[in-house]
Amino acid sequence: MPKQDFQPEPGVVAGLDALMAELYEKSKGEELGLTRQQFDSVLGEIARKYLPSDAAHHDLRGLYMSLRAEELVLARACAAGHEHAWEVFLTRYREKLYDIAGYITKESSTARELADSIYAELYGTTTRDGQRTSKLASYTGRGSLEGWLRTVMVQEHVNRYRRQRRLVSLDEETEEGSQFATPATEVAIAVDPRVEAATDEVLIALPPEDRFVLASYFLDERTLAEIARTLGVHESTISRKVDKLAKSLRKQILAALGRRGMSRRQAQEALEVDVRDLRVNIRSRLAQEKGGGAFSKKKAEAPADGS
Amino acid sequence: MLMAGIPRIVEQQLHAMATVEDHPDPNLLGAFVEKSLAQGEQLRVLEHLSRCTTCREIVSLTATQPGFAGAVLVAPVRAGWLSWPVLRWGAAVACIVVVGTVVTLRQQHESRQIEATISEQKPEKQISALSSPRAKAAEETTAGAAKPTVTRQMTRAMKPAENHAAAPSPVEMADAGVGSRLAEVPGRAKAAESQDAQSMKAAGNAAQVETSGAAVVPLVSTNLPPRWTLSSDGTLQRSRDSGRSWQTIQVADNTIFRALAANGLEIWVGGAAGALFHSSDAGQHWTQVRPVANSEPLADDIIGVEFTDTLHGKVTTSVQEIWITADAGQTWQKQ
Repeated sequence: MPKQDFQPEPGVVAGLDALMAELYEKSKGEELGLTRQQFDSVLGEIARKYLPSDAAHHDLRGLYMSLRAEELVLARACAAGHEHAWEVFLTRYREKLYDIAGYITKESSTARELADSIYAELYGTTTRDGQRTSKLASYTGRGSLEGWLRTVMVQEHVNRYRRQRRLVSLDEETEEGSQFATPATEVAIAVDPRVEAATDEVLIALPPEDRFVLASYFLDERTLAEIARTLGVHESTISRKVDKLAKSLRKQILAALGRRGMSRRQAQEALEVDVRDLRVNIRSRLAQEKGGGAFSKKKAEAPADGS
Repeated sequence: MLMAGIPRIVEQQLHAMATVEDHPDPNLLGAFVEKSLAQGEQLRVLEHLSRCTTCREIVSLTATQPGFAGAVLVAPVRAGWLSWPVLRWGAAVACIVVVGTVVTLRQQHESRQIEATISEQKPEKQISALSSPRAKAAEETTAGAAKPTVTRQMTRAMKPAENHAAAPSPVEMADAGVGSRLAEVPGRAKAAESQDAQSMKAAGNAAQVETSGAAVVPLVSTNLPPRWTLSSDGTLQRSRDSGRSWQTIQVADNTIFRALAANGLEIWVGGAAGALFHSSDAGQHWTQVRPVANSEPLADDIIGVEFTDTLHGKVTTSVQEIWITADAGQTWQKQ
């Protein structure tokens, strides 16, 4: 078990002793070889990770109460190499790991490869300063351990996909025909800065959820059902929201353009201009990571499509 | 559903808003999908997601995995049983049910009325024969070879003027010799008649049907309470058709009645020489009541009878004595 340097902040942890004791009891840490001191140390580490140093007492209490103490202890015990903890972990999650990988990759051999890779990371094959580090040590109990595993696997899959795209072979490019694609031409039509500013103003004023829905639907080309499941609402709710947003956005941008001195007709014409014809290279603005293309198969476009 | 599009500039700016800031770790993304973060944290993650394509991919792929507890399909928020569409349809259905019920009940009621009228045609004839010529004509029409076609549409088509013309008033009947003018009956007699009139009003005009000819035949309802009156010659009369026709009720031979109290089935009539009769079955059977107070029987003419309920009542005599009973005439007190 790696030793954690937990330094409880005076005044913050004070008064939480009873809660921490209760959590420790619930977590069955003792059975998995985690002492109370080690448990407190883990909690302190999580608190430092998610809360500012001057966090109020009730924030700390709320955070601790929201933790999945039992799963947290299991993960940490596994990371520490506790044999019984591994038995429990494998009983609970081994099959699930392969199922999740199968769903993500849609292909059995890739799925097994992904699951094995994750399993190795969870077990801790890499070493740091001579010590084996397990990915499970980064689990903080904010959500379920299964949810964390799913997220970790998806993240790994996305990273692999991107790495592979960078190393795409010439044969594959030939098959795709992309090596012969016409290079993107930049059309010399200037975008009225007022249109950009008005659009930004409207987008920034939107609630995060609305922006998320817009981006998911129009940029990522996610289905309504997918967006709905991500947000935990019904598909019809998202359908109504998308429709409402699309209608109100135009009105708001027109109004914002009006405030910037454009006549109604000018504003409408400006909005009707297809941005694909403008010199703005959306791809360059979109790219967040060097060499990163669109991950989703749905939105994967030919790199030289002009957009 | 055809979704409205957004201007290209919006797409462009959404792309441009993408950030390269620190991404939330898998703990937060997983907890976000499971909705187990605090509201503030959930919003912060959502804010990041709205700008970060990569994290949106991760979250979406995580959330849409089958069997994931965090990806349970949620029922539509507005599909609750109290949502407006439900309320609107609910109200419409409720209206239809109410209207349907009312119409059905009305039809049943009218059917009963029609059946009752037809069944009472024979007794009516005897009185109608003595009433006005117009009513007589109507009666003849009703009793004609062709039976009257009784329909609800016809019932609705009746006109108040025709009703009035077809319904002989007590005065008309007096002219016809059935009774005399309405007696000036003191006390409850008038009240009872007034009550009857009100109940008649409430029940609406008695159903009338137009026969195949132009004549209108009054229909009566046996559901209506009988009306009582005293004729000027002191006989008790009852009407079962809201006063259109009156029947003389034989209570006692050679007794002239001057006071009447009718309260549902309970009928009290008083008259000359302390004659006081009581019927508790709407005039089917009569019992003579002989009030005695302090061993002194009531012998004066009774000019007023009032009963507030089945037990409590008072009798006013021609010498202004008031006799009170609190046990339906078993015992009396004189004032």
